[in-house]
Amino acid sequence: MMGRTIFIDPGRCIGCQACVSACRECDSHRGKSMIHLDYPDEGHSVASLPTVCMHCEDPVAPCAEVCPADAILVTADGVVQQADTTRCIGCANCVNACPFGVPKIDLQAKLQMKCNLCYDRTAYGLAPMCATVCPTGALFYGTLEELQAERPGVQVADSFTFGSTTVSTGVAMVVPADKVQWPVPGGLPVVEINGRDVR
Amino acid sequence: MRRRASLAGAVVSFLLILAIVFGSRLLRDFDSALLPYAVATVFLAFGVAYRYTVWISAPGARRLFHKGWGSFFSVANFRQAPTALPKMIATYLGFQKFLGARSHARWAAHQLIFWGCLLAAAITFPLTWGWFTFTSSTGSGPGYEMRIWGFKVLGFDALNVVGWLMFHGLDIAAVLVIPGAGYFLWRRMKDRGAITGQRFAYDLVPLLALIVISVTGLLLTFSSIFLHGGGYEFLAILHMVSVVFTLIYIPFGKFFHIVQRPAAVGMQLFKYTARRKDEEVLACRRCQEPIDTAPYVENLKGTMRDLDLGFDEWAEYCPRCKRVLRGNAYLDHVKKGFK
Repeated sequence: MMGRTIFIDPGRCIGCQACVSACRECDSHRGKSMIHLDYPDEGHSVASLPTVCMHCEDPVAPCAEVCPADAILVTADGVVQQADTTRCIGCANCVNACPFGVPKIDLQAKLQMKCNLCYDRTAYGLAPMCATVCPTGALFYGTLEELQAERPGVQVADSFTFGSTTVSTGVAMVVPADKVQWPVPGGLPVVEINGRDVR
Repeated sequence: MRRRASLAGAVVSFLLILAIVFGSRLLRDFDSALLPYAVATVFLAFGVAYRYTVWISAPGARRLFHKGWGSFFSVANFRQAPTALPKMIATYLGFQKFLGARSHARWAAHQLIFWGCLLAAAITFPLTWGWFTFTSSTGSGPGYEMRIWGFKVLGFDALNVVGWLMFHGLDIAAVLVIPGAGYFLWRRMKDRGAITGQRFAYDLVPLLALIVISVTGLLLTFSSIFLHGGGYEFLAILHMVSVVFTLIYIPFGKFFHIVQRPAAVGMQLFKYTARRKDEEVLACRRCQEPIDTAPYVENLKGTMRDLDLGFDEWAEYCPRCKRVLRGNAYLDHVKKGFK
């Protein structure tokens, strides 16, 4: 986990979309929101899940690994940058390989875009747009110590399982204290599709 | 891999040396004043071949390389859609339509740089290799002959429009490149999106190099017309140093995209040929939204397996379903209170 990073607590998310709007104001992708806000059980539950780039550390950035054009740079501080506009050929390998479903693609512009942790802000010590505007603290930016000072007893996890693979990330999620020793399930293997058991 | 890349570099540069020797009729037409440029192109050939070999050795690029060139050389593809490839080359590589979708100003500026550099390369490379010669049978002209590999291809009067265009081709190229590179340089100073994460050696040096080459090139013409050659030698050396530096920089910096960009055509052709058959589009296993062509997804899964990314079956789900399934898993197994 990076020093200062985003901590996501879906339990606090009220699905207000403030993060989605604020993300559009980021200078590095002005006018386009890179954060995803999904409603996993729409119609039955008000649960909502914000997804930013998790900045995978091990394996390091699968999106960058599958890129045939070496377009995705991982900076020394562990931030997985959005595709280099000069190199990206718009093949969508990163879009379909990302285990978290993060990158977006503009097929006309042949360009991938993704959350880059608001590098124009975080490189200068400012919080990303999404965490700045989140009214409930579902997106928190800071160090783990700062999070725990604000929310005593809170625990976080920074590894996720996809089948037999565990992915360690730079961005972490809040988990209950009794779940902290296990990686967070990433949704794979898929056990159920539209109410049908597919195990 | 390094050994293979070095070998590829050595073979390509050796072939270029042979092409220079034979193309200049055993150096009879070779202009020794242009030797540093010719040597730089040999280094360029080595660097490009080396970097290209390293590049296509990575799993993602290697698979795309095979699929792209496989589609390119496929007789069946050519029979089915003979115009597809020329159309893609014109739109992606020539007129760069995709850049227009990013920004009209960037498209215009890039077109200026692209055509300017292409014109300059088409003139200078064969000239420095001794492939082109301009000779006058009457000594000082005005009747000139242009020869390629010793064969006469064009006769022209140096004092008419054709002659002017022939002898000022590089000035025209410079006039195209300077506003294009100038715009990008201005953007790199002002646009906060462009400034984010920009690096001097990667983002600014190529633009400065293009401007220095173009300005010193134009100053050479200025010197010969208005200063009776004053400062010409110094300018010639400055121009040569900037060109040589840029040629050697090409394989290692931003300019390598010139070599990489044709991969976009290979990738598009690979997808296009599969998309012509509707049944080959793979739909998300959960929501049935189309993901991409089945051969493309299979290719990606192969790349992921090559890289030991053990979640390649995940590629058969769309990004949204991946997020929703992860949300459901969190909801079911991590934090019931998420509700």
